[in-house]
Amino acid sequence: MTRISGGRSLKEEPNDTKIGLEIHFQVKGRKLFCECLGEESVLELGSFERKLSVVSGEKSDKDAAAMQESSKGKEYEYIKTENSCLVEMDEEPPHLPGRETLETAVVVSLIMGCRIVDNVHFMRKIVIDGSNTSGFQRTGIIGLHGNFKGNSRNIGITSVTLEEEACKKVREEGEKIVYNLDRLGIPLIEISTDPDMRSPKEAREVAQSIGLAVKQSGMIRREASSIRQDLNVSIKGGNRVEIKGVQSLSQIEKVLSKEIERQESLIEIANVLKGRAVSTGLLLEDLTNSNYFKDYELFSKGAKSGKKIFGFTLPGLSGVLNNGRFRLGKEIAERLKVVGIGGFIHSDELPNYGIGENEKQEISRKLGSKTDDAFGLIVLEPTKIEVCIEIIQNRIKDALGGVPAETRGATENGTRYLRPLAGSSRMYPETDIPLIRLDPSYLKEVEKKLPPTVEQRVNLLEALGVPRQEAFNSLWKEYDDVLESFVNEFGNPKICAKFLSVVFSSEPPDLQKAKTLINRFSKGNIPSESLESLYQDGEFGLSENRKIMLTKNESLDFTLILKDQHEMKEIGVDFKIKSEDTEKLVRIIESVIEENKSLIKERGEGSFKLIMGKVMKEARGQFEGKEISELLTKKIRDVIGKSDN
Amino acid sequence: MSDTIESGDKVEVQWKGTKFSGMFISKDEKVTVIKLQNGYNLSLENSSIGSISLLSKFVQRKFSEEKVTGEGKRVFVLGTGGTIASYVDYETGAVKPAETPQEMLHAQPDLAKIASIGTEIILNILSEDMQKADWINIAKKVYERISERDGVVITHGTDVLSFTSSALSFLIENPKAPIVFTASQRSPDRPSSDAFFNLKGAVRVAQSDVGQVCVVMHSSTSDDALDIHSGVRLRKMHSSRRDAFKSINSEPIGRVDRDLRIQWRKYEKINEKPMKLYDKLSEKVGLLYFYPGLSEELFEKFAQVNDGLILAGTGLGHITNRFASRVKEYTSQGKIIGMTTQCLYGAVDLEVYTTGRNLLEAGVIPLHDMLPEVAYTKLSFLLGNFDVDTARNLLDKNLRGEISERRTE
Repeated sequence: MTRISGGRSLKEEPNDTKIGLEIHFQVKGRKLFCECLGEESVLELGSFERKLSVVSGEKSDKDAAAMQESSKGKEYEYIKTENSCLVEMDEEPPHLPGRETLETAVVVSLIMGCRIVDNVHFMRKIVIDGSNTSGFQRTGIIGLHGNFKGNSRNIGITSVTLEEEACKKVREEGEKIVYNLDRLGIPLIEISTDPDMRSPKEAREVAQSIGLAVKQSGMIRREASSIRQDLNVSIKGGNRVEIKGVQSLSQIEKVLSKEIERQESLIEIANVLKGRAVSTGLLLEDLTNSNYFKDYELFSKGAKSGKKIFGFTLPGLSGVLNNGRFRLGKEIAERLKVVGIGGFIHSDELPNYGIGENEKQEISRKLGSKTDDAFGLIVLEPTKIEVCIEIIQNRIKDALGGVPAETRGATENGTRYLRPLAGSSRMYPETDIPLIRLDPSYLKEVEKKLPPTVEQRVNLLEALGVPRQEAFNSLWKEYDDVLESFVNEFGNPKICAKFLSVVFSSEPPDLQKAKTLINRFSKGNIPSESLESLYQDGEFGLSENRKIMLTKNESLDFTLILKDQHEMKEIGVDFKIKSEDTEKLVRIIESVIEENKSLIKERGEGSFKLIMGKVMKEARGQFEGKEISELLTKKIRDVIGKSDN
Repeated sequence: MSDTIESGDKVEVQWKGTKFSGMFISKDEKVTVIKLQNGYNLSLENSSIGSISLLSKFVQRKFSEEKVTGEGKRVFVLGTGGTIASYVDYETGAVKPAETPQEMLHAQPDLAKIASIGTEIILNILSEDMQKADWINIAKKVYERISERDGVVITHGTDVLSFTSSALSFLIENPKAPIVFTASQRSPDRPSSDAFFNLKGAVRVAQSDVGQVCVVMHSSTSDDALDIHSGVRLRKMHSSRRDAFKSINSEPIGRVDRDLRIQWRKYEKINEKPMKLYDKLSEKVGLLYFYPGLSEELFEKFAQVNDGLILAGTGLGHITNRFASRVKEYTSQGKIIGMTTQCLYGAVDLEVYTTGRNLLEAGVIPLHDMLPEVAYTKLSFLLGNFDVDTARNLLDKNLRGEISERRTE
């Protein structure tokens, strides 16, 4: 992919690396197309088995990726769960999406600066790895052509889509894959960016910023697995490679760096091979009865169990299969592995596996290898050798062109081959769901509910005295509202921020640690350093027997509870006792004073005790006595003063 | 928008201050559908579109011309509506039903491995729109095919499939080749469709020696076995599941396993008795589901317009005592009134309660464990082809396995 770098700013180093992101967020609440709850890991209730087939208008239309998966002849077992119904079983048509879910998708699209579609038109995207019982994923565009402000440049947003989450893979048993239905159908918002990022670091930063911005909707599930990224990356002279299933932000940078290294080495390999007599005419020899492999258990055992040991030339590939950065051998092995052929070894690895230098030379001679030629070895059922050779030939052809366009999976140490890059021609309309109109009046209503932007929130917290980094941290972990309330209530913004960052540093928040810290907090023993080292039982006690504790609410979110002798009040995100309730107290006092004006005028300050009793009837438990008495004294004086005039 | 833009053309669209290219799919009075390059459809309000301009015309790709009929014993697949084979054009997103043998085999390439396939679309209507005349037409077509000893598979919508299978059971006596119905509960454009396995299984059964009309459908929600039901003993028992069809008051007559091997239980083989086609069905037969509150007026109207009446009574076969004298009036006029149970499972018995005895007294014929729909098609068949006395006499006799003496569940 070459591109004329016309509009690029001069400050940037020339760089043809292009990175695009697809970020997936699970949405809270019900599933997308049924009323089942979107909780994972619940009771299992038996299972059933299915197969999938794909049909299309013409053979050549069949999506290459889909074809390959189907040719595997797989069977799929699905485990039913408490949170799955006939819809997940593909035994009942989908229901209409939930109102809240749809609204979240629109909010996210607006946060991403997208234009909202006139009608949501759900499509069926063919996916036949069994991860969807239907054989397709339902998906619809909500927003298009957005724009997101990254740290160093604007990132184009291709689209925001609302789709159903796939099943969770439990295990593979030979030709059978076992899936669990609990995750299937959880609403997923996918944000696709244009390939506007230029480095792994920038990709990580943009992913983080987008994540933060989207979390402001308050509707994104918190589970660690609820946010996933797919990456698209190409370098100069290469092709687009899609990387699936990057689980964390920190992994983005590492995976991309490794992938770019891989792509660069493949381009170097292509350059090396230009000067060589590379050919896909592999000379195949049956070496089962030879003596070379008696010390290599995999081969000798395989041969005893009826498999054959095959040797074949790899013309022109010596020194690029496994040599420093060159790892073409690994590329070939990965392609073979996806069709269930393992154990490929080659001459660049030898001597090894109990195969000595002498044997290596002999095999080479026997196969008739020339100077630049390598050779490969495999133990295999004779029926599979044809497929094996064809796969190797295809990978060699690809090597001449540098980087093949393909879909890869993220691993601990980089990426591994999954399948050819999926084309775009595998979608058709979902006819079981009508068009859903998003008319201008609806959009206006949703726009009113837009959350403040990350920048606005951070600025507000900063204005309260919270350090900027702590403010970002609170947004990322979604306790910014709690932090705001704490600062409003207790002052000490730096201490509050630090305190909460410790409480929320783990997911879920550490209750024990929170209690301990609150205890210290309540005794006025507010340390400025090493909060984490404090451990004791306790809660944060306020005056009048009130306490604050961190606990779980009905929807299993962590929240702060205000407790006194009368009631438990959830104050989590609305923890704003002072600002709101002082007004309420003023109203109570004023109304009592109004009712007893003549009494006050008559008795002056002597009326205090009587009036205080009346106020306390209404305000008890909600306000501190001291606050009430101070305010009441002031108000009574106002009345007396007035009457004096 | 220019008139020259047709479905499939590549266009550029101006919309809400942005522009993009895609494939024009359709336009109605409200919405224009554009397919983006990434496969998504956008349904844009006509009023929100700035302009649409043609980029390039659509070039239709040709269907492959290779002629395949498959290998194995010949089977004729007759389509009656309800798609069991279709293909998706992912370029335009259109789903098209397979009509010719070529298309059928393209959509279901595995069929060619087990049979030489002939196909004919004899009807293309929704199952619920089916009329008695359609049953006769289907029976005639099937009769033609099986006269040449080719097994026949009839694809059908699921909704009223058991009416049609029952009608054909009566209309064709001693079939000389298998007559097998099949259908799908999930449309065949879906990779998960039950159509693939159902059709393969049905073709296998159509290559066997079965001499009674049968229906082949999923036994459970899994893709691991198909039940072979007698055409007169089954009913759709679920609105959407794959295993909606159940044999009622009898076991399925066989099963097809995942490798398409048939395990028969008790079934009728093709016999040497002469085959006969009956080509009439009485239009003056009705089926009435009794319910508390059913007005006498409605019951009378229903009975007056029909020569034969099948009642789906409560429990052991009851309707309100208030209608007993009316019933007697009609039976003495020569009308035939048969009683089945809306419980479906179990037989009617009019000897147990006074109500039942009153109905017997009034001339109601108890129809044992025959299903209401089967009794309805049977009486239509009897009154269409025989005189009233013969019809009355045959209604409660077992002709095609629709009645059994023993029930084990």
